[in-house]
Order: sequence, then structure tokens, then C-alpha cells
Amino acid sequence: MHETLFMDECPEGPAPGNYEIWESTVSPEERRSYPERLITQIRHVNYRGPEGEDVCAQPTSVDDPPLPVVEGKYAYGIDLDDNADGTATPKSCAHRTFTGLNGEAGVDNQMYRLFGCVQAWRSDGHIENNANAHRRTSGLGMILMNVTDIDDLNNDDDVTVTFYRGIGAFSLDSANEVLPFATYDIDMEDGKPRYGDSVKGRIENGVLKTSPEDVHLPHYGNYQYIRQLIRDMQLEMDITAETGKTDGMVYGYYGVDQIYSYVRGMLTSFANRHKFSCPAIFKAAHELADGHPDPETGDCTTLSSAFKFKATRAFINAPPLGEMAQRSEAP
Amino acid sequence: MMQSQTTTRLILSSCALCLSALLLSACGPSEPDVEGTPPDIRRLTEDQYRNIIADVFGSAITVGGRFDAPVRKEGLLTVGARNATVTSGSMRQYDEMARSIAAQTLSEPNRTFLVPCALEPGMDYDQACTEELITRTGRLLFRRPLQQDELQPRLDLIREAAQTLGSFEEGLELGLISLLVAPQFLFVSEDIEPDPDANSGHRPTAYSIASRLSFLLWNSAPDDLLLLAAESGALHTRKGLEAQVSRMMASPRLEAGVRAFFSDMFEFSEFDFLEKDNVIYPAFGVTASAHAKEQTLRTIVDHVINEDADYRSLFTTRKTFMTRTLGQVYRVQVQAPKGVWQRFEFPADDPRAGIQSQLGFLALHSHPGRSSPTLRGAAIRSTLLCQQVPDPPPDVDFTEFNDPNSPSKTARQRLTVHSTSPACEGCHRITDPIGLALENFDGAGQFRTVENGEVIDTSGDLDGIAFDDGAGLGAALHANPALTTCLTYRLYAYASGTPLSPRDPWMAYLEEQFAANGYKIKSLLEVIVTSDAFLAVSAPDPAPIESAMNTTTLTTTAATQEN
Repeated sequence: MHETLFMDECPEGPAPGNYEIWESTVSPEERRSYPERLITQIRHVNYRGPEGEDVCAQPTSVDDPPLPVVEGKYAYGIDLDDNADGTATPKSCAHRTFTGLNGEAGVDNQMYRLFGCVQAWRSDGHIENNANAHRRTSGLGMILMNVTDIDDLNNDDDVTVTFYRGIGAFSLDSANEVLPFATYDIDMEDGKPRYGDSVKGRIENGVLKTSPEDVHLPHYGNYQYIRQLIRDMQLEMDITAETGKTDGMVYGYYGVDQIYSYVRGMLTSFANRHKFSCPAIFKAAHELADGHPDPETGDCTTLSSAFKFKATRAFINAPPLGEMAQRSEAP
Repeated sequence: MMQSQTTTRLILSSCALCLSALLLSACGPSEPDVEGTPPDIRRLTEDQYRNIIADVFGSAITVGGRFDAPVRKEGLLTVGARNATVTSGSMRQYDEMARSIAAQTLSEPNRTFLVPCALEPGMDYDQACTEELITRTGRLLFRRPLQQDELQPRLDLIREAAQTLGSFEEGLELGLISLLVAPQFLFVSEDIEPDPDANSGHRPTAYSIASRLSFLLWNSAPDDLLLLAAESGALHTRKGLEAQVSRMMASPRLEAGVRAFFSDMFEFSEFDFLEKDNVIYPAFGVTASAHAKEQTLRTIVDHVINEDADYRSLFTTRKTFMTRTLGQVYRVQVQAPKGVWQRFEFPADDPRAGIQSQLGFLALHSHPGRSSPTLRGAAIRSTLLCQQVPDPPPDVDFTEFNDPNSPSKTARQRLTVHSTSPACEGCHRITDPIGLALENFDGAGQFRTVENGEVIDTSGDLDGIAFDDGAGLGAALHANPALTTCLTYRLYAYASGTPLSPRDPWMAYLEEQFAANGYKIKSLLEVIVTSDAFLAVSAPDPAPIESAMNTTTLTTTAATQEN
């Protein structure tokens, strides 16, 4: 997430949280009528729909103030829809584009526009930090990436990248950093990998780049497992680092429903404590969606995105593909 | 007390005089005579203490507490154990451990393992139960039957305690504690008797032979069968001795004995103090350190026991064992789940061959943050080849060696500058050419080809045999006659507790036997334990022994009373 020191990209300031929105709707007298703030009031905050609805479970039950979104010029990302001016194309809806941090035009990153002004999602917020910390110490949601068909580690125009879910914990050093060259096992079910989407790619000057493909990846964060689908996913990563550690980027589209399912799954108490409004995010996510128009309604269903990731070189224990197939055919 | 015990044993031994005619005189004409050494007393090592507790009371018993730091002598802690002092502090530790072990033994469900009667709250003193418990346990702990003056006071103690405290169980607990703090348990004291085959000679008692065999081959006290063989006098006959040796060599417990010897010879006690800079070597943590030691021990056990292979090829073998923790230091894939060991073989073209290329050697003989060709070379000279490497002079100047701005990028370059000093040259000449062969492995034992951007040169020579790398060093070790001479010397010293001169004719005989049997450790062990030399004792000087035993007894009593 591209963040400036004084949050210039968010001229309206940070988005208000669920509690603040509720507080603004009640009189001081009514607020004082709730003596046990942390218990009683929160129950009223969570179920502040007109009929007592949980506003995260039913985000359309209230009409919250619009979510402040990113208005800045720059963002991480690439031009996913091959259209630099952001006008609608057969595969995208009209949207405002960003300029890349290196000056690239037409960068699509509506996910950033959506969450960039929600404090909880920013670098010092709870959502990403909590998820990263849990993933690191538990290994839950570990993604194993197997790059095969490599002839030349620096330049190869045809390689295959397969994504699995790891099972087991990360191997960490005393500073809780993931150690390279550990061996991990693939999560298997009935003799087959639970995940295992493959994409084609190439290596250019030591940088692995994959072609746009829909890819399922495991995700764990904030106490939720998600079998996430990233549409038209592209990956970039330097694979030559001698330390066995590297950084990379993933670009692609996330389904609005998938994103909101994650937000809702955090429960309303999260929205109170970490200051975000489920109804505002729900509404803005649909308004900002820029990818994969619904053939019937024409409404877009996905949000463009860009994610940084850290990767560590490792060994992957997997039966040969032939053996996997054989096992899967066994009764 | 000591005098009466000796007298009793002399009388008892005369009863077995007719059997003694078959004594161990058939060791072959080629075995040179060895002047025996006086019987001595040695303290149980920590591992021996733990093994005995597990054998006698069950593996569920936890042994806490600390043991005094062992003393290394003639390259072995086992030899040093004969010179170990026992402080009041260490007796306090023994006392606390004894209390803990006794309490655990009498708690549910462990009590069913050892106590011969059902303990119930409020039960009265049970003479038969007490006598059986103390007699049976005491025999295993003391490695011989209890004398009457060792048994009766304990029975009295238990009875009085049960009556005074109103608890038979607490009485038994005190009885067990009294066995566990007794010097007869904590110290292996060898008893001798006149040798009926030698007019003025002596021999170890059958129970002392049993202890010698058991501590050497199993690193623990004799089991019931071995004590029965001692009791029957069978151990004084060649047939009886060989039958027991054969049984013990075939037992899985031989692994404990082999582990103990090589842990001692290879100075693995140093692993207790091994620390690496976790910023420089993040993958080498506490678990990796423990696994590194275990990896080498497993390699040794598999090589010399399971495969019964040539000792020399331990330094060229590519077969070993691996865990995931080690795999990330070696940078190899490991199929076995986390925490589980699997067999592993490095490919034929891999730079690792031999235990000297494993982490257990490379990391142990390095600095916390960098490798050390000098430490590694010195370890090979002193540990594997039994050659003396003098300590560095106190005024050695490391300025150039440690200069971070030095143009010397590799250890070889830095050592070349450093060792031109006349005070350093002599020692570095014997350590560095072999230590530099292992410079492809950093201070944690991880493979590397460059240091500070410069390609590492691993060529060198060992006593005239040139090599290109660490694998070549292993081949040079394999061919070096000092390797097997050293092993023979150390193993005999470990077995007997008293090293012979390497020039002693008996050592030459042992080496010949080792070579004739294909340099197999199991065969060498058999030659040693069935030899006259192994059982030879010289005329005792009773005063120091008796004095030592009495001193120990007093110390023990004092510590016990203090608590």
C-alpha cells in the first residue's frame, strides 16, 4: 500500500469506524443511558440496523456515510486491462487509474483505492499486521510455489509455476524470520494436492514473470481461511537471490464478494475495535469494482489489486505428478 | 568396614577355586603380558547415572539436577573420572536427585514397576516387601549383592521411619534414598581377590568383571543375567565370559556403549557450550546443534555396529541421517516429517564425505561467527590422530588476522600472513593445511565456495598425502596409520581406565588384531574384553582405596544428615 507521511492520498482523512458512526447517530443523553460502555454499548453498535440487524452481516441495512477513498496519484500495480486511460473495455468498467511509482501510466489498483484510507488496513493498522503475524508463526495459509521446467535460472522463456498449500509451520530463526532451505509438505486430500493450479511463465534477467491466469491460492488471516481466487493473476519475483530470500508482487483481480466475505468474517467487534464500517466498505467495493463485468448486468465484479509478498527458497515434498494422478484414481 | 568386605570377598572367592582353574588363561600365545593396574575408584558419569536409573527404576523416571563438570585426561573423560573429586555441593545434588527418584518410584503408576507389594495408605511395616525391595534394588545399584552390614541398617531405617512417621511408604522412600546416595552406587569401586592361577597375583572379582564389561559395552550397570554369571563364577571361565560377551555384543544396548565411547573420544561434551551467532548463522540454533551431535553419533553407530564396517571409512562415507532442521543447514530436501530422522546419502560428487564434513565436527570446531582452519586442524590432529598440538603462546598477535580492512580475503590468506610469525609457524604448519581443506564449510558447517568474494582454495596435504578438498582429506585420513593407532589407544584407555604407552607391545598386538579384523570396532571390542590385559590387576595398595571410600562415606553421610 502506497502511503505518504501525512496521508495526503486521503484528503478526507481516515475513514470513521463502526463505533464512531453509531455514536454520531445518538444523542448525548442516549449515550449516557448505556452505563456499561464496553459491553452494552457495543451490542447496540453491532446491531445498529433499523430492525436490530448486525450491520456487518447485513451491510445494506443502514446507509452509512460514504467511505473516504484514496484520491492520490500514485499506487503500486500494473495496467491490468491494457487500457491506460481507465475507460471501460470489454473486460473492465470505467475507473480512475493511478500512476506507478516509477512513472508507469494506467496502473489499476482499485483495492488500494478502497482500503487505502481505512486505518486498519494501512501499514500501522491491525488487519494486515495481525494476519501476517499469525501466518508467520502458525504456517497457516502457507503458499508453496514450485517453479519447474527451468533450463536457465536467469533467462528462460517457458517455465511452469504451480501453487500449493503448505501444511505445517514455517521454520523460523530466533528473530521470527522465515529460514530458507527448509523442507515443507504439500497439503494433500485423497491423494491429490488440495491446491495445485499451474500457470506458464518466463524468466527475464533472473525475474520470474507469469502469464495472466485465474489462480486459486490459500489465504489465512484474522482467524479465517479463504480459498481465494485471483483472476488474471500475474506474478513477478527475482529468483536468483543467493540469500534464498526475495520479495515479489502479485497483480490481479479479487472478487468483490470474496473481499466482503473476508471483511464480514472478522465480525462486527473487529469493526468497532479497529475502526472500519462494513456497510461503507460493502458499498464502496461494489462502486469501485473495475474488472470482470457481469454479462447480464454489466456491473463489474472484481477489484484490481497489487500485493507485495516475501518468498523464501525451500524444498517441497510432493509425490510425482504421475503418482498423484494414480492415487487420485484409486478407489 | 572396607577391611571386613575385602576379607569376606576373599573367603567367598576361595569357594570358587575349582572353577578358577578354567580362568582366562587361554587368550592366545601372541598376547603380550601386561602388568595390571591397581584397582581404583571412579565416579559414575552423568550418562551412566542416568542409564542406571532408567534401567533399574524405569525410563519414566525423570533425573533432574546437575552433575559436576567432568575432567578430561589422556583425551578421555572416562580416564579423568578416576581423578574426579566430589564436593559437598555435588553430594547435595546427588542427595536431591535421590529424593526425587525415590519419590517418583513410589508414586503411581511407577510403584507397580518396582515395589513388590501393594502400597496402601496407613499400612504397617512389611518386612518381606522391604527386604525384597532393598535386596533386589540394592543388588542392581551396587552391582553386587548387598552385604549384611549394608542391608540390615537399611531395613532398620525403614522400619523405624515407618513407625515414627506413621507411613510405610515414606520409610521405603528413605530406604531407596539411602541406596542412591551410597558411595557403593555412585562410585565404581573394583574389588580384587587372589588369583588361583597366579601364585602371588590378583584378579578382579567376578562382580568387578561384570561391571567392567557392562560399563564398557552398555555404559550402564550389569543386568540380572550378568550378575547371575558373576554369582555363579561363570565370568571367571573363558566359556562363561565369552557367552556373556557374545550376549552383550548382540544386545541393542551395545549402541549406548559405542555412543558413550565416541562421545568421549570426539569430545562431544563440548556441545553443551556450543553457541553460534544467530545473526550470522540463523539456521544453526539449539535444535540444529543437538541434531548435529546426534547425526554424527547415528552415523557412527550405523557404521560400526549395524554395518560392522571398517572404522577408517567413517571418514569417507557419504551415508548419514538427516532431519528437517539439519536439512536447512545442509540445504537438502528431507522427506521425513519434522522431528523424525531419515537415512540420507550425499551424492558421489558432493563435497561432503566422512564425519569430519558433518556439522557435528565443522560447527563444533569453529568460532561462534566464523570458521577456523586452525581449530579444525588441531581437532583432527589431537582427537582423531592422538597427536599433541601445543597451546598458542600467550603473547600471540592477532592484529593482522583480525583486521577488517585487511586485503586478505580468505582464511588461507590471513593465516599465511599470521603464521609467518616464528612463534606461530610451528603449530600452524601442522594444523592449517588440513583445516583449510574444510574451508568450503563456514562456521556453522554450511557449504560455500567463496569467502568475501574470493574463491576458496581447499587444497592441502596430510602427512605427505595431498588432496584437493574436504573429501580428499577424508581419503587421506583413511590412509593415515595414525588414525587406527589412535582409535586403538583411546579405546583401550577407555576400556581399562588406564592408558598404556602407545609403544607398549600390547598396543602393537591390539593394532595387529584391529587390522587383521578389517578395522572393525566390534571385533576390536571383543578382543579387548576377552583379553588377559582387560582383566589384569596389580597388587593393590589398600590404604588409598580404603581411605577414599571412607572419606566418601563420611561426605555422603554428612550431606544426607544436612538435608
